[in-house]
Amino acid sequence: MLSIRRSASAFVAVAIGVTLVAAATLLLASGRPQVPDRLARAAVVVQSPEGGASADEFLPTRPWSATATAGLVDRLAALPGVTAAVPDRTFYAQPLIDGRPSRADTGREDAHQGHGWSSAQLGGLRLTAGEPPRRPGEVVVDRALGLRTGTPVTLLTAAGPEPYTVTGLVDAPGVQVADEVAAALAPGVRAVGLVLAPGTDPERVAAAARGVVGPDGRVLTGDARGALEPRNDARTRWIGMQVLTATAALAGFVTIFVVASTFAFTIAQRRRELGLLRAVGATGRQVRRMVSVDALVVGASAGLVGLLVGAALAPVLGRLLVEVGFEPSTFRVRYTPWPIVLSLVAGPVIALLAVWSASRRAARVRPLEALREAAVEQRPIGRLRVATGALLVAAGVALSVGTATADEARVGAQYALYAVMALVAGATVLSPAVVGPVVRLLRSPIRRRGGAIGMLVRGGALTATRRTASTAAPVLLTVAFAVLVSGMVRTSTAAWAAGRADNVNAGWIVLPDRAPGLSDQAVAATNGTALLPTTVFRTDPATPPADRPLTALGVDPAGFAAANRALTVVAGSLDDLRGDDTVVVTAAANLRPSEPYAVVFADGELVSLRVVAVVTEDSLPGDLLVPRAVVRTHDPSALTSTVYVRDRIDPPLGARIVDVATWAAEADAAEDRLVWLFTLLLIGVSAGYGAIAVANTLLLAAAGRAADLRLIRMAGATRRQVIWLVTAESALVVLIGALLGGVVAFVGLLSIRAGLAAQVGAPVDLVVPWSVIVGVVGLCLLLAALASVLPTWRMLRHRPARSPVGVAG
Amino acid sequence: MFPGRHVHPGEGNKVPAWARRATPRETGTVVVMTTDTVSLTGLRAVYGTGTRRVTALDGVSTSFASGTFTAVMGPSGSGKSTLLHCAAGLDSPTEGVVTIDGTRLNDLGEDELTRLRRDRIGFVFQAFNLVSTLTAAQNVELPLRLAGRRPPARDVTAALDAVGLADRAGHRPSELSGGEQQRVAVARAVITRPAVVFADEPTGALDSAASRQVLRLLRALVDDHGQTVVMVTHDPAAAAYADRVLLLADGRVVDELDGGITAAVVAARIAERETLATTPAERSC
Repeated sequence: MLSIRRSASAFVAVAIGVTLVAAATLLLASGRPQVPDRLARAAVVVQSPEGGASADEFLPTRPWSATATAGLVDRLAALPGVTAAVPDRTFYAQPLIDGRPSRADTGREDAHQGHGWSSAQLGGLRLTAGEPPRRPGEVVVDRALGLRTGTPVTLLTAAGPEPYTVTGLVDAPGVQVADEVAAALAPGVRAVGLVLAPGTDPERVAAAARGVVGPDGRVLTGDARGALEPRNDARTRWIGMQVLTATAALAGFVTIFVVASTFAFTIAQRRRELGLLRAVGATGRQVRRMVSVDALVVGASAGLVGLLVGAALAPVLGRLLVEVGFEPSTFRVRYTPWPIVLSLVAGPVIALLAVWSASRRAARVRPLEALREAAVEQRPIGRLRVATGALLVAAGVALSVGTATADEARVGAQYALYAVMALVAGATVLSPAVVGPVVRLLRSPIRRRGGAIGMLVRGGALTATRRTASTAAPVLLTVAFAVLVSGMVRTSTAAWAAGRADNVNAGWIVLPDRAPGLSDQAVAATNGTALLPTTVFRTDPATPPADRPLTALGVDPAGFAAANRALTVVAGSLDDLRGDDTVVVTAAANLRPSEPYAVVFADGELVSLRVVAVVTEDSLPGDLLVPRAVVRTHDPSALTSTVYVRDRIDPPLGARIVDVATWAAEADAAEDRLVWLFTLLLIGVSAGYGAIAVANTLLLAAAGRAADLRLIRMAGATRRQVIWLVTAESALVVLIGALLGGVVAFVGLLSIRAGLAAQVGAPVDLVVPWSVIVGVVGLCLLLAALASVLPTWRMLRHRPARSPVGVAG
Repeated sequence: MFPGRHVHPGEGNKVPAWARRATPRETGTVVVMTTDTVSLTGLRAVYGTGTRRVTALDGVSTSFASGTFTAVMGPSGSGKSTLLHCAAGLDSPTEGVVTIDGTRLNDLGEDELTRLRRDRIGFVFQAFNLVSTLTAAQNVELPLRLAGRRPPARDVTAALDAVGLADRAGHRPSELSGGEQQRVAVARAVITRPAVVFADEPTGALDSAASRQVLRLLRALVDDHGQTVVMVTHDPAAAAYADRVLLLADGRVVDELDGGITAAVVAARIAERETLATTPAERSC
């Protein structure tokens, strides 16, 4: 029973959906950690122990102290087959070009990292000119900087700018200094690379190394060394994974949605044929099976096409993702079996899910319908449909609330996507019930403007509510998605900014410029209240896991208390935060003042601190407060993230100054940019899809209405009137869809706003993205008009009475 | 197709006696009741509620004997189509009993009804008779395929040959004329050897030459194969092919012609009914 013309639209929709799913899953499967170039020549690497579970998985591992490192290196170097055991030290050091950090450096983490020269052998690094650094004040830099050997260069370090002399050049990012300098700047070590004698089996050495290291580290070989990739790369990859998962899920959902409405539409058009089949003896089950087999054939063949296109597109998309920043620069597409199998299965599965509801309707077609006029439908909406729709809407609202109350913006964005999906599906399921009232609502303007055309448009939409609804469905989807997703992102960004600004009691903020943080010298020049964050590790016998990473902020207590409006002290006093062994914890730690609190600092040393005050959890943008000097002692390369100042000052080197409102708006700007790109990607997928679906269903509708239109022509309508009629009809459909989509989006946005306001603790303004609304609705209108007018125009070239009024059905 | 066997009734005053010879009632020594293929008892069909309430059938009791050709006539809205739908199990009456081949339709569920239609009933509709995506041959074998049987190709060819379309087996409906489509529909209706064939205005969309071909076909089914045929029509010329004519008005059987049926006789009877119907007093009788 397959008809090429009827199946074409479902085929296209499934093919595009599978293309997206295939491309996204192939990219997902390709996203694996890469062994950093700097450690490529170390066949075996020992990594310091992973920090315990934490909300942010991209914190560094717990370092070994200087003494622990020395002992470990000695024992590892003594293993048979090991020619050298080299500790890999990484610290902040950024060469200044023309007195300020280079613009090119901002994007690359490794461009402002320094290492000891001995670790150059782990990556097989060779001098292209000059000598290795042997004394303090000597440095080897990247040839790309354009410096020559023997010339002076200023390195910006955590302490401030320092004069160095270039002794050699290499073909790699970052700077290399003498080992003693590296040991001073990075006392804690997180990896020891082993260089093996030629012909040695890395696995055998690794086994021996495991015996040496014990539980105090992980021994990695081969691809497992990917765990040593820069934590920022890991984070970027994680974001990329979220994007790809969401895109694949959305593509699957939108495909099911679009294909379902296409099937619903074809079933509505085939009522007569199905009635005939029922009359000559097909049982309901047979009709249902027939419709499902149609769908299966379409799904399987379209899936195959989609897989091929997706596989071809994956490398192109991969490059795009790297460019935009969703994947690290080391990302390469690999063709693994599971995405291919998944995509092959996806086509038929999508088609079957999509045809489920349509096939139920098909089975219910009564044999008498072969004899009736096809356009008159009965029972616009069933009870099961109402129940399903209500359930979906309820789930959508619940998810919207979840979105708003999620702790992390990233988690919230995920919820939001599913919330929109549920709301859109619910609204579509319920839409036939709404078409009648909406059409009646629009009655007066249409009647006044259109005369006979208005009457025809209204009559058609009202008698075939389901047809109207299934044509309006893709518009609904497109508008709801675009408005809700963009509105949500804009609203929550604005809300968080407002919340941040509210908590800060300062006029201006000093921030790093083209550098990862501010040096001590820059901080001193501002005379403000600085935050010096560092990661510490705590092993609390009462609460596993061990080595839990925490963010400790080095502060001056008086200044911090004055600048932070959110600070609420529960016990003790912030004034006691001084000396070299004090700490302020949050209520989450469940401790009282004067209790001991031991942590491992970035230098690997275990330090026993004393609790002097307890504050509420939302008082701090971190977990602990310690005196600034304590952080500096244990983490010589820690960088200041933020300085609060009362009045505007000239920003020091490597810094810029912004007012609080600007700071609040642009904090997390990088992440917000990614989120916004992500949003646009999702809107693009759904809007592109919706547009295809709108055109699809209207083309089908035009074909199905040929007989009707011929009749209207014969009744005396001019060509122009018929064109007007179909234009008005498609405009009405787009309007209905846009209206319903707008309602869905508005409900979602309101619940998100309520949740956000509760969380931020301040009233939140709803940001409505009008440009997106106008763009999406305009696109739908344009496509709808084209898709209905063009086939009608073609049909009208013939005289009205020439072709017989379709006996062929 | 059946040379010399039949004279078009509209052209002569009488149907030749031999043309009716095979019908059971003429040869019948058996009790008529037992050979009724379809019997209807006290059929009432009411649609809608309140002011939109329509009584389509108002207590119809009749039967269609095995091997006869019955025409059901009446003006628009007389209930003739509803009668056919109820008799064929396409629609269920509000009251009354329908029996086909000894099976009470009232007792059957939707699936059993479907199977009964598939196995025991053949249909020819006015239009939209064929599935547009299937060839003539595929349309003919459709009921058997739906029953899970695969008919031998020669059976299908034979069926198409019987309606004079053996050479059109591979054509799709859009490549066939209206008359050819209806003949394919007739072939499909009888492929399952049904107890009864229901035809709803089978010539309604055809010109007179094509109509004659289809009606001769139906007549031949009765004469040559003892098939039972019930046909709804408004055309006296079509009704003249039948053995018996039921006249319906306002949901009731108001007249019945048995034998001596010609187009002129039927037309005269209808005209008579219409003059009667204009007199309100007569109408209430």
